[in-house]
Amino acid sequence: MRRIVRAVGGWFDSRLKVRESVMPMLEHPIPAGAAGPKGWWYVFGSASITLLLVQIATGIGLALVYVPSTDQAYASLEYLNYRQPLGWFLRSVHYWSGSGMVVMVAVHMTQVFLHGAYKYPRELTWLFGVFLLLLTLGMAFTGQVLRWDADAYWGVGVGAAMAGRVPVIGPAIVELLIGGQTIGAATLSRFFALHVFVLPGLLLALVGGHLWLVLSKGISEPPEPGQPVDPKTYDAKYHELLKTGKPFLGDAMSKDALFSSLVVIAVVVIAALAGPKGPHGLPDPVLTGANPRPDWPFLWLFGLLSLCPPGLETFVMLVFPGLLVVGLLLVPFISNHGERAPSRRPVAVMAVTVAATTLAVLSYAGATAPWSPVMEAWSKDPVPVEMVRRSGPLELQGAAVFQNKDCRNCHALDGVGGRRGPDLTDVGTRLTHNQLIDQVSNGTPGGGNMPAYGKKVNPAEMEALAAFLGSLRPPGQPPARVAAP
Amino acid sequence: MTRRPSLPTLALLLLAGGCTPPGKPTPAGPSRPDEVTDFRTLYATNCAGCHGADGNLGPGPPPNDGLFLRIVADAELLKVITDGRPGTPMPAFDHGKGGPLTTRQVKIIAEGLKPTWGKPDPSGDPPGYALAPGGDAGRGMAVFARACAGCHGDRGQGGGSVDGRPVGAVNGPAFLALSSDQVLRRYIITGRPDLGMPDYAGTAGRPADFEPLDARDVADLTALLASWRTAPAGK
Repeated sequence: MRRIVRAVGGWFDSRLKVRESVMPMLEHPIPAGAAGPKGWWYVFGSASITLLLVQIATGIGLALVYVPSTDQAYASLEYLNYRQPLGWFLRSVHYWSGSGMVVMVAVHMTQVFLHGAYKYPRELTWLFGVFLLLLTLGMAFTGQVLRWDADAYWGVGVGAAMAGRVPVIGPAIVELLIGGQTIGAATLSRFFALHVFVLPGLLLALVGGHLWLVLSKGISEPPEPGQPVDPKTYDAKYHELLKTGKPFLGDAMSKDALFSSLVVIAVVVIAALAGPKGPHGLPDPVLTGANPRPDWPFLWLFGLLSLCPPGLETFVMLVFPGLLVVGLLLVPFISNHGERAPSRRPVAVMAVTVAATTLAVLSYAGATAPWSPVMEAWSKDPVPVEMVRRSGPLELQGAAVFQNKDCRNCHALDGVGGRRGPDLTDVGTRLTHNQLIDQVSNGTPGGGNMPAYGKKVNPAEMEALAAFLGSLRPPGQPPARVAAP
Repeated sequence: MTRRPSLPTLALLLLAGGCTPPGKPTPAGPSRPDEVTDFRTLYATNCAGCHGADGNLGPGPPPNDGLFLRIVADAELLKVITDGRPGTPMPAFDHGKGGPLTTRQVKIIAEGLKPTWGKPDPSGDPPGYALAPGGDAGRGMAVFARACAGCHGDRGQGGGSVDGRPVGAVNGPAFLALSSDQVLRRYIITGRPDLGMPDYAGTAGRPADFEPLDARDVADLTALLASWRTAPAGK
């Protein structure tokens, strides 16, 4: 049996020359340092590719069922979720593996940046990497659109509105992107084509180029303080280093394989535990209760756009992302030589720390979106029982007015409700009866965030409301009073 | 030699064979808010804000009150949820009246209250729910002294206490302006059991020889409270 297999294999190999061409690639030497314990730093790139393969496999599976038409997309996802055996799991793995891919690409890039691995002679490898990051995010965005729920619909809306701000050619870009003047059937078809053909094609081509560069320029040695890169001498030094190198097919490959396996196991476990994302709510612009949120890779942008002052919007939408991309592309040209070790590159470490903190904070802000009123809070969030228990008849009416006039949509009680305005759980210790009436009637002085409700609340309602709010004090706390002059 | 199935194969078999991991989505409810037809969901999203998570201990009159559900007519429940009570914080919920719910959903809420919170408690002979005309405010004062003054003060100015918590006034113009005669009558009959206020027959805070209020007492008390109003309800 074995003899037959060997004979058949030999027949093919004598024509395909796989052994001659592929084996040297697998056995190419890598610096000894990268094969030791420090080799664990080098596993993130291969994990990204592993997840890309998972995405391709699960993506094909999904494409067999998914119908990219506006009237059937949502239903086909529901079919996958509830009726197709393990359809939900396929969707779940695709979502979580995609999320994992964004994470792995970001971690890989951070590692390369911190270790100065983008320096001479690997500048082009870095440039390919930047475009791979952009394509990965492009896949995340177009994938979100294919979900064709409220998040998707409004996500495209926001994206198109941003593109529409481009001077002169803005409207043309929007038309190209959404296939017309409005979001509709053509929009979904375009995003389907982008997600399934265009972006994956580019992604695979760039991955090929990226890998070719990794092979041709070699894997960077682990950085050592005091061993700066000098483009004039680096090649010779690296050549010297490889004389004691280890073949890739060995320790390094095992580490890659082990880590990738762990990542896939993690994705599968998370997919089984957390389940697929959405679809959440029909993409119907008539449904005003929609509360759309972008997927997590874009929450930071959502947070940034929501928090930036109106005057800065165009800059934040159009110039700022451009600056970010140009900045990333320029990295290897700003410093392609010198120290590589993070301990000798405080600015690089600082840049990563600041970037990561900023992204985390903006993402958190985007996820919680305290600036959005909670539109159903007035009818859905009960007045805290303790407040009801200590209220008299007038205060109870005031609490009902508080709910009925939508105050709760912006103001939380005991942390529940909107967070656009301050939590009013103990407002009675801060504002007197008259100050409360003034605040509700006239809104924030000088035209701030709170609108004036004077004309929407009648005197009896105002009296009851102020009585309720004035009673909101921790036990034993006296009511607010005007300080003596 | 028998081969043991690998871990991934086992996991897949488990997934396929009916084992439900927490991530498996259950068929979602209706995807449009106007298609929701579950009473609990409709109540939680539309009523709980004012009437409490479990139908009591909210600022609004509690629907989770066996006595109330016993005396109130089905048609009245449907009407008040459809139209709201103008002048009070109770808004209209029917689309046709500018509310957020379909006529069908309003009906589901109205018809779900009694099966959910009604109690098979036929004891006693409570006065009827519907407003009765011809109440005598003058006689109501005497009823008030007997039934209410112990906690709410002799002129409804408040001042007593229940379980150590002060009892508020019921004679204030704002309170009365926001309270319809109907809700005053309802409170006189049902009390607020969730907040310690006795019903028409309860004895808490009342004289030892207290007799349950009859239909006339309730009408007179309602007339008395209405007479304290300085402006028509809702103004």
